[in-house]
Amino acid sequence: MDENPPMRVDRLTEPLLAFRRIDKGFFGVKVLEGVSFEVHAGCALGLVGENGAGKSTLMNIVGGNLCADAGEMRWNGGRYSPRSPREAERAGVAFIHQELNLFQNLTIAENLFIGGFPRRLGLIDRRAMGERARAVLREVRLEHGPDTPVERLSAGERQLVEIAKAMMGEARLIILDEPTTSLTTRETGRLFEMVRQLRERGLALIYISHNLEQVRALCDDLVILRDGQVVGSGAMSGFTLDRMVSLMVGREITQFFPTRTSRPSTEVLLEVRGVSQPGMVRAVTFELHRGEVLGISGLMGSGRSELARILFGLDDCSAGEIRLAGECLNPLPPRERIARGMAFLTEDRRADGLCLEASVGDNITLVALGRMVGRTKAVRREEAQAAVRRMREAVRLTPGARDGQPVKTLSGGNQQKVVLAKWILNEPKVFILDEPTRGIDVGAKCEVYRLINELAGRGAGVLMISSEVEELIGMCDRILVMNRGAIGDSIEPGQFDRERILRSALHSGVLA
Amino acid sequence: MAIGMRVDGWLPGWLKRGVLSDHLILWLSVAYVLGMAPWATGFVSVSNAQTILAYLLPVLVVSVGLTLVLIIGGIDLSVTSIIALASVLGAKVMSGEDGWMAGNALAVPVGVLVMLAVGLGLGAVNGFTVAVCRIPAFIATLTTMMFVSGFAIWVTLSRKIGGLPAGFVMLGQNLWVATVMAVAVTWLAHGFLSRTLYGRWFYAVGQNARAALVSGVPVGRVTFWTYVASGGFAGLSAILFTAGLETGNPEMARDNLLDVVGAVVIGGTSLYGGRGRVLGTVFGVLFLALVDNSLNLVGLTFYTITMVKGGVILGAALLDTARTRILARTG
Amino acid sequence: MRGPLWQRTTVTLMNQASLILFAVVLVVFGLLAPAFRDPQNGLNILIQASSTGILAVGMTFVLLTAGVDLSVGAIMFVAAALSGKFVLGGGSLPMALLIMLLVGAGFGAVNGLFITRLGIMAFVVTLATRYFGRGLGLQITETRAMNLPDSFYELGAARVVGVPVPVLIFAGVVVVAHVVLTRTPFGRQIYAVGADLEAARKAGIRTRWVLWVVYMICGVCAAVAGVVALSQAPAVSPGFGNNREFLAIAAAVLGGTSLFGGRGAVFPGTVLGAVLIQTLENGLNILNVNPYLYPLITSGVIFVAVLLDSLRNGWLVRWNRRKIFVTPDEVGGNSQGLKRET
Repeated sequence: MDENPPMRVDRLTEPLLAFRRIDKGFFGVKVLEGVSFEVHAGCALGLVGENGAGKSTLMNIVGGNLCADAGEMRWNGGRYSPRSPREAERAGVAFIHQELNLFQNLTIAENLFIGGFPRRLGLIDRRAMGERARAVLREVRLEHGPDTPVERLSAGERQLVEIAKAMMGEARLIILDEPTTSLTTRETGRLFEMVRQLRERGLALIYISHNLEQVRALCDDLVILRDGQVVGSGAMSGFTLDRMVSLMVGREITQFFPTRTSRPSTEVLLEVRGVSQPGMVRAVTFELHRGEVLGISGLMGSGRSELARILFGLDDCSAGEIRLAGECLNPLPPRERIARGMAFLTEDRRADGLCLEASVGDNITLVALGRMVGRTKAVRREEAQAAVRRMREAVRLTPGARDGQPVKTLSGGNQQKVVLAKWILNEPKVFILDEPTRGIDVGAKCEVYRLINELAGRGAGVLMISSEVEELIGMCDRILVMNRGAIGDSIEPGQFDRERILRSALHSGVLA
Repeated sequence: MAIGMRVDGWLPGWLKRGVLSDHLILWLSVAYVLGMAPWATGFVSVSNAQTILAYLLPVLVVSVGLTLVLIIGGIDLSVTSIIALASVLGAKVMSGEDGWMAGNALAVPVGVLVMLAVGLGLGAVNGFTVAVCRIPAFIATLTTMMFVSGFAIWVTLSRKIGGLPAGFVMLGQNLWVATVMAVAVTWLAHGFLSRTLYGRWFYAVGQNARAALVSGVPVGRVTFWTYVASGGFAGLSAILFTAGLETGNPEMARDNLLDVVGAVVIGGTSLYGGRGRVLGTVFGVLFLALVDNSLNLVGLTFYTITMVKGGVILGAALLDTARTRILARTG
Repeated sequence: MRGPLWQRTTVTLMNQASLILFAVVLVVFGLLAPAFRDPQNGLNILIQASSTGILAVGMTFVLLTAGVDLSVGAIMFVAAALSGKFVLGGGSLPMALLIMLLVGAGFGAVNGLFITRLGIMAFVVTLATRYFGRGLGLQITETRAMNLPDSFYELGAARVVGVPVPVLIFAGVVVVAHVVLTRTPFGRQIYAVGADLEAARKAGIRTRWVLWVVYMICGVCAAVAGVVALSQAPAVSPGFGNNREFLAIAAAVLGGTSLFGGRGAVFPGTVLGAVLIQTLENGLNILNVNPYLYPLITSGVIFVAVLLDSLRNGWLVRWNRRKIFVTPDEVGGNSQGLKRET
């Protein structure tokens, strides 16, 4: 740690927030151990680490949701130990969570003031509220009136409302937790611009993200957590991407994308001809071969996920034909498509990937259970248990998880492995993966890539949708780029090029 | 959360194991019988056991149906009104006084079939409105309840119907027959839920309907058939009720909603869906029946007993939240 | 294929399903029964609707937080029984009314306590207190009907500047509730709590306190509804207020309040729902329809309204999905927002 250059020293003032040997454990398991670092005003600090490294716990302590077991925090030179979110807020800490905390049924202004409305005679002073809201909305450059219901805003616009909220509260420290996962490129750009402005104004920022490039581009300082300890900290200039990753993982990742030994065959597995649905996709035509990993790139709202849902039978398809191994699937519901060998890993793991309350075992067997029943439809238990054991090994699920443990208690990466296990157990012929590595840590990402290669090696066709261009380039045999619901470009192996993909995705000339 | 952390500390080990036991309510029932025996004369006797059984069986059957509905995350407020209408229509068919088939040899089988058909049919209506029209279950079954109970009263002009044939009355009064019927359907439901593929589908729908749909569970069909089943169980329950009381009554079971929902909740089934067991419901029904019966023997009025039962259900719900919290702590 | 314009018009119309149903009911009864058209009859409907209406206003508060209160009918009963006993024992009318309000607040406080502090589902808690309350009421009245002195009746028959007191009370409750819900911080926090409890807590709202007060409000409204009901028929029968909770929920839902919280309004929503239900009953009465058929027709109308609403929701979802790529990137995010709700 000594070799790291010191944090920027041009600040003569005390740090705004300092952690001193913070410890925190849950039921005997240490989650944080002796965490010490400082956050300075006018400075953006990147906080990175794998899932489960302790980032969220640490931020929950700052935000007043949890109390540290030992150690202390100092805020502006004084002791700081908030006992509730309200107390933290009053001190000047604003928290922008991964899942936004806006009320869709209320207006922008009401969301900004929900913690404390301006009043007159006990009633809400609407005029004052509107004026103050308009002023702050102008600052974050959100072109909507304060009376617009939040449900009409896009994800990026909602993010801006959150920032406006932080600014309203006279925040001095803003914590951003994975703010860009659901943003378009343009919206991300706008957000970054905002963040830089806030920094200029002397606010302190803590930026938590798995997207290391963004952290690098945005932050002045960096703190890396691993297993609850600070394993690296200092000015950003002292860290390369490789070094960040190796510190996070604790080992050098020599080959991030595992090489696949098998080659795709020429046999067509999935044939998509002119699939259209008004407002979603237009005349999509492609073929997926045995053993092929076919990437689909495109911006959010380009119709990627909608195409996946149509292929799987979750949305209507007004024209075109979908054939799996020669058989037409068009009118069939998802259930029938699964029976014919389709699998679909959805982009939102929590909403439609898993039964969070159910156990690991029940989740893994949910799809394939139909094969483990006798004539009376009674489940053959030994067979099911054996299958669960087999799958746990195949996806390398953490050995700490018991079969009967609810899935919601697992980390994001392990949850994703459970979803994969669920589908792989059914031995799919065509596997549609929508953002398979979203929100999971580096180690788990590697495992997912390995599993994709294994599936392809076994002769399955994989359709991989991703926002991460590197991932597609590293994994795919071919990449389709979607743009406004249609396939804008099809890129053959050997021609993969980050710029070309981005250009086709932004085809309409609105390059941000 | 704050409460849960405290609970963990002060519970002694044996008590914690007891609280976490799957058969907790059964143990409580046993303890209750032992505790009440000295106070309520005749509580522990064969004839009283028969009384309890006669009271318990019809409630058990309808509670089992409701358990299925709660497990998929729904609610069925109409079960008691379905019982009333089935009771009334069945009695209309069979009654020796002015029944439509009075004196006919086939009156009893037809009457029984009518009652089951009423249950299944109304269940299908509920299922259709919830699964196909996508009306929230609470309001869909609420309108069914309003309509059906109004209909039952209109059909009879609020009069009870007597003169039921002996062959029918036997179904409820002969405890052997009633027990066999109730136990058989309960056992079937239990096996169905805990052992079969379809049972797993029920839980999956209750836990996360969207994930279930993506995983190939026919969510709409499961939902529809659950309400049909719930209606069918209510129809069967109506047979036991009507035969037991020897009358078709348009207000039958009207005040049993507490017993039914209470028993299911005491049995540990969650109203949030995805969690619950038929066996738990059996214990819940048993416990409530014991409380009801013993307090009757002690000489409390029915309205006092109603109050106590309200308290018991609150207590059970409290116990259940405590349990969930301990489970969350200990993993 | 349906054109967007066709759909848009239908959806707009269906947004006002209850209003249209109300209009239809008015026209049908107006054509069939001349007596129905009498302005005095309109006032009668309002008087008759006031008790259920007030109950439904309280219920709206609870439904907005994604809760439910099944105990309101029982609260009415207990409050009426206690104050009746008090009046018959020689107590004064104002004191009796105060007792009723206290009983309502007390029940609401207990409900709220169990729901917020002990974390039991509102459905279970209020079902239990519902039976507890009915048992208690029967105990107080000794399961007999209790006839109250005329002072209650006089209250109901009195008029202030030509407006009957029940209607005045109803209007007062509605105005206060409407202002609280739309114009006060507390009211907006109710919507926030109903939309997302966890987010509300994180936003620094004292969610437990909000919920607790909401159940108290509902209890007090139930007591006021009891007062109004007594002023129209000064007797406490053993069935007093029984199953009224379901009517109140139906009125609120008819008025567009969602059972899932966060959406709905007292005015015009719930008021319209309550008046619609009462109008039906009044019109059927004037037409001399068999009273046994009232519940059938009422529940039928409620069903139609609910069905239309869910059809509308289904279409909105489909319709919104359709727009996903009309304008990608820039406004495309918008569709993401809509998509998230589906």
